[in-house]
Amino acid sequence: MRRGLLPLALMALLIVGLGAYAGAVHPVFVSRQNLGNLLIEAMPLALVSLGQATALLVGGFDVSVAALMTMCVVTASFTMTPDTSGAALVLGALAVVGVGLATGVFNAILIRVLKLPSIVATLGTLSILEGASLALRAYPTGAINFDVTAALTRSVGFVPFAFVGVAMLALLGDAWLYRTRTGLALRAVGLDARSSRRLGMATGRTVLLAFVVCSLMAAIAGFYLGAEVQIGSPIIGNQALESIAAAVLGGASLAGGRGSYLGTLLAALFLTEIDNVLPLFQQPTEYADMTIGVLILLALVLYQAPELVARYRASRQPVVQAPAAPGGAPAA
Amino acid sequence: MSNPGPGTPVVLSVRGVSKAFGAVQALRDVSVDCRAGEIHALVGENGSGKSTLLGIASGFLAPDAGAVEIGGSRLRRPSPAAARRLGVGTAYQDYSHVLGLSVAENLFLAVPVEARPAYARMEAWAEETLAEFSLDVAAGAPTGALSLAERQLLEVAKALLTRPKVLLLDEPTTALGPDAVEQFHRLVLERVHEGIGIVYVSHRLPEVLAVADRVTVLRDGVGQGTFDAAAVSEDELVTLMIGRPLQVAFPERRALPDDAEAMLEVSGLQGERFGPIDLVVRRGEILGIAGAEGNGQVQFLRALAGAERATGGAACAGERLDMRSPAGPLRAGVVLLSGDRKGEALFPVLSVRANATVQVLRRLARAGVVRRGRERQAIADLVARLRVRMGSAEQPVSSLSGGNQQKISLVRPFLRGDVKVILAEEPTQGVDVGARFDIYEALRAKADEGVAAIVKSSDPLELSGLCDRVVVMSRGRIVEEIPADELGERRIVEAIVGSRVGARVAAGGPA
Repeated sequence: MRRGLLPLALMALLIVGLGAYAGAVHPVFVSRQNLGNLLIEAMPLALVSLGQATALLVGGFDVSVAALMTMCVVTASFTMTPDTSGAALVLGALAVVGVGLATGVFNAILIRVLKLPSIVATLGTLSILEGASLALRAYPTGAINFDVTAALTRSVGFVPFAFVGVAMLALLGDAWLYRTRTGLALRAVGLDARSSRRLGMATGRTVLLAFVVCSLMAAIAGFYLGAEVQIGSPIIGNQALESIAAAVLGGASLAGGRGSYLGTLLAALFLTEIDNVLPLFQQPTEYADMTIGVLILLALVLYQAPELVARYRASRQPVVQAPAAPGGAPAA
Repeated sequence: MSNPGPGTPVVLSVRGVSKAFGAVQALRDVSVDCRAGEIHALVGENGSGKSTLLGIASGFLAPDAGAVEIGGSRLRRPSPAAARRLGVGTAYQDYSHVLGLSVAENLFLAVPVEARPAYARMEAWAEETLAEFSLDVAAGAPTGALSLAERQLLEVAKALLTRPKVLLLDEPTTALGPDAVEQFHRLVLERVHEGIGIVYVSHRLPEVLAVADRVTVLRDGVGQGTFDAAAVSEDELVTLMIGRPLQVAFPERRALPDDAEAMLEVSGLQGERFGPIDLVVRRGEILGIAGAEGNGQVQFLRALAGAERATGGAACAGERLDMRSPAGPLRAGVVLLSGDRKGEALFPVLSVRANATVQVLRRLARAGVVRRGRERQAIADLVARLRVRMGSAEQPVSSLSGGNQQKISLVRPFLRGDVKVILAEEPTQGVDVGARFDIYEALRAKADEGVAAIVKSSDPLELSGLCDRVVVMSRGRIVEEIPADELGERRIVEAIVGSRVGARVAAGGPA
């Protein structure tokens, strides 16, 4: 697992490096106020990226997550209005989670039963959810319960409770992935589905669960997106691509079977940090997109370097079997 | 050999199983059983249905008809998981390893959940397990770093770890040298004494007969009978394996002039699955490549065409061949007819016309614009000559039958005037008998124009009828060369199965 540490180290270094530079030039960046804001801002992306990492682990993509987050915000603007309270509010929250669950099952059925490539299947789901959000809220309106949004963003010191929770989740996720039987099974299915099936594993169920988990994480991310915008906005965010970017920067392989939840969380923090820092330097946000694009390409090359080197070495020394005796090697 | 009597319990019973893949009937009403403590060999030519039968017994494939019983229980909803639960261990020919994981992790995943050690003990447990199977590999090593022989032995160890009632072995020795084969057989015999039944698929008759109790022969998906291994000769088995229901005609062969110059010269060509190989094919010659599947034949052809990495060299018409990418050999006039028609040779959704002319559009164009008239003219002649049956040249090539699709991919080298070498991989696979002759004739006509051809085929009858000379590959190397005057289906099959009876055929003959 030593190679798995490279993304973690790189992301930590980038976060600290960029933070130190920004703090040196603009001391306001390292103020407790700003750091607390940054962590809260990072929540939607961090949560959805953990889900996306799960989909990537089984060799899939879920591009419908941002549309689902928006759909969850829109749903919340109906079911969790400022007037609701008590049991109705709990039901309202469950409705939002239900939207996530239903979407996850829908995606899983498209992928497992209809055998659609996950990127195509979730692209379809994306359009459906996008349209549904616009049908429900043609323009941003409908406030979301302030008590809930306040509770979601509560902090101890400048560190939001939510961030502590996500960090724990990521740590537990990695421990599960690399230290348990079921984590190993998930990685095996992502690395080689056919061999996994031959070994008697329930490959279909694994993929199904991964996509349901991904959608559920997107729904939870939707709560934090709701806390941020506080209103039923049907405008789609760009978290779909950013969540894939975070998972990949965090060490996930696009071919499946490899990834790190902690790395994904760090990458999500770093991507949010870029967004947070650029306005301080009065740089246009377009630069953020370009920076992220370049970083992803660099990360992909860097993370794969050991494999590329190994492949190059292997190509120089072909594997040769012990020569067979000419004449058909008769057994004695 | 333990020779269990008929009273021993049957651990695997396959009854009346049929299976079709598209239009190809891979198995027809086949029945086989395997008793506890028995090694039951399953033999047959390439494509005779051995692997399909194992696939059904292991739950990986669902039969169209018939039933599988394991240890007395019916396999109702076939899946590898269900078959494993009933007591089937399978060593697949192309393995069930997850290459991105370590050896220890692969062993761990191979064991049923309830029998696995604690996750934290995995590495230590794997070391013990590897020692138990006398496998000299590190438990922490990535599986992708193992040699093919080590992967093969690991596959068998994994199958045995499930504590099966019946063990299915699909060509378990293709990557093993003679010493390793013996070591492997000792391991297998040990298990048989413990009461496991083993179904052993192999094309190497002497190897498998040395350990088998009974033998079942398959030919073209039909069972040819089950025999006591001690009571049947290799000679008789070969006869059962190749018996032919249909006679196929071949175009006439002209003797090559003694001074025919070399067109393709291969020296020390070596890749991951084959080599080193030295070979010369002369102008006007059709060279056949025979061998059991998976012995490097395909990789060798693909390397020559620049589609697979290799070291060593080759020259075409005296010029060194640049094999770093498919572009080099193509420029030099070396054309590969891939056996993977849908994936590599054709554009399934494009029209017959587009598929036929895609490589020669420049010759059919004026000022960069393709002249549709010239294009139609060019293919009309060839379509007639190859007797392609189709409605129009504009229909998608995927709507043609397999044989006609293959003919279309053959049109390309005919349209190019500059072809020097044709590398044909299974040119008649999935092609009906009538269309085969057209393809043979087309290849022979091209050879008569001075082209050198290499034909890789799993059909010995085809090789003996079509080729001027046949080389047999085993474990990635050429192990035998059969000249024109010795060519015959039986001679080729005997070379492939490594039979010793080759020299005795004339004297004894089949019983």
